[in-house]
Amino acid sequence: MRVPITTRGTLFVVLAVFFLLVGWRIQALPDYTLARVVQDFLNALTLGSLYALIALGYTMVYGIIRLINFAHGEIFMLGAYFAFFAMVLTPLPLALALLTTLLLGGTALLVTRSLFNLESPKKTAGLAFPLLVGIFVLLGFRQLGWIEALFLSMIATAVSGVLLELVAYRPLRGAPRESMLITAIAASFFLQNMGQLVFGPYVKGFNPETVLNRPLSFRIGPEEVYFTGVLLVVPLITGLLLLLLNFFVTRTRLGKAMRATAQDAEVAQMMGVNVHQVIALTFFIGSTLAAAAGVMYAIRFGQIHPLMGLLPGIKAFAAAVIGGIGSLPGAVLGGLLLGFIEIYVVSLFPTLSAYKDVFAFVLLILILLFRPSGLIGEDLTEKV
Amino acid sequence: MAAEPLLELKNVSAYYGPIRALNRVNMVLYPGEMVCLLGGNASGKSTTLKTILGLVQMGEGEIYFRGERIDRKLTAYRIARGIAVVPENRRVFPRMTVRENLEMGAYLRSDPEGIREDMEYVFSLFPRLEERLSQPAGTLSGGEQQMLAMGRALMSRPRLILMDEPSMGLAPKLVETIFKIIKSVNERGITVFVVEQNANIALSIADRGYVLQTGEVVLQGPAQELLHNEAMRRAYLGEV
Repeated sequence: MRVPITTRGTLFVVLAVFFLLVGWRIQALPDYTLARVVQDFLNALTLGSLYALIALGYTMVYGIIRLINFAHGEIFMLGAYFAFFAMVLTPLPLALALLTTLLLGGTALLVTRSLFNLESPKKTAGLAFPLLVGIFVLLGFRQLGWIEALFLSMIATAVSGVLLELVAYRPLRGAPRESMLITAIAASFFLQNMGQLVFGPYVKGFNPETVLNRPLSFRIGPEEVYFTGVLLVVPLITGLLLLLLNFFVTRTRLGKAMRATAQDAEVAQMMGVNVHQVIALTFFIGSTLAAAAGVMYAIRFGQIHPLMGLLPGIKAFAAAVIGGIGSLPGAVLGGLLLGFIEIYVVSLFPTLSAYKDVFAFVLLILILLFRPSGLIGEDLTEKV
Repeated sequence: MAAEPLLELKNVSAYYGPIRALNRVNMVLYPGEMVCLLGGNASGKSTTLKTILGLVQMGEGEIYFRGERIDRKLTAYRIARGIAVVPENRRVFPRMTVRENLEMGAYLRSDPEGIREDMEYVFSLFPRLEERLSQPAGTLSGGEQQMLAMGRALMSRPRLILMDEPSMGLAPKLVETIFKIIKSVNERGITVFVVEQNANIALSIADRGYVLQTGEVVLQGPAQELLHNEAMRRAYLGEV
């Protein structure tokens, strides 16, 4: 007989195993001080948060159209580049700022209008005015700080994600899943190469003077703990975004339509849900989360590159599968888990640090062998 | 009946890719009627409902609802005009609560007051649903899920309800209850179009019936006539 596995139970077992292993190993390391405990924890939480944000995009899209969107890592990369250019190029000459505003604001407006059912001209105008003016003011008058850049990048990346869906995936609605999968891989290659062509194929430094990379420290007993602001800010912003996402999917009409579509797209349609709209909305939200992750990842590691989405993308995909693809809490759990494993492997087993990227995939293989529906994924037998 | 038809299918054909599932089907439903659609497996019953909703590719033909041609309109539009559906196998949203399922039924409405009224009406029909309001629908029994699927359809305040095999997989006693409720819904003036395998019970409460065979209407008429029709009895009512 199969033992029913609850979310809380799984969470408990995962945490227990993790802490037992870490605790056992720490005992054997005499120089593992309290300061390192704090540092490792913050590092792991930050990396895990970033993986979780990316993993959410994979899992949401999969939940709605059963597609592994391999181009999601590139969406993440775009997010980082948009923020980079927003910070480096501003203030734009006013004419250019105006042009960009009209271009970006216009498409963003069109996209949000159709995605969020803003049919009435009054609502549209209510959104258009602050959006256009806001973007213009941001671009035209001074150099942007990272929060404004993050915000702008989330808008621009969301629009890119919706366009990707529109151009690459929508024409294949109803086609076999393999066609969509191949298209997703093609889209990924396309964006990688497009990125190298447009942004240049080299690494760019991304070290804005912000609170994020200001060195901070505090004392624990006799020791000093050193870290940068990013280690506090990333988990904070991630938490905030998760709360917003949770509010959206459980409390709003469109969020419920999204969950309904994930559970039974045909019946959702029978209730009057416009499935195309919900799919585009899913790409919109997934892309904003990926953009946030991309910007914070870039600041965390101080550089950007057109292929930077590859490894975090694949790892976040692994995280989504480990947590249970299609499940939002699963993606967050999987992302955090991979972040913690990666950091703690390097910290506790320095000899293995060259293999740190392997562990995500070992865990993925184990999960696929023993619990293919993921740690807290829906039971696969439920879908008949 | 002399009244304007509520729903009319004229020479409707429907296709799954190259395969024709409906062949020049003609049907008429008048306001307040209860009509059943009978037929064996793969005779096109469910396809008929899906065609009315715009969920399968339609070939030739025209569909009129409330006097308006709807066969080129979006599904959402047809639902907004007053068609609701209780799908085959119930298909409630398993990981949404009973309340959320009912809310999904009212997805296209924006009158909170009316929605609350209709929820009360659904609870008066199915008190069990009120008890289980915050429970995930997947944890309900088969009968309760059927009630939820019906309640969900009623939440759109429809003029026409399409029901696909409401008796499937339910205990005989429960089937009787469900059909009694269908009848009471119908008596409130909502037109009911019900697809059934269980021809006996369907014909005993319906006004009229259509019989499909490989995508064509082969028999039609008042329910009582069909109940006593020779060919009908041999084919569908289990008599030799």
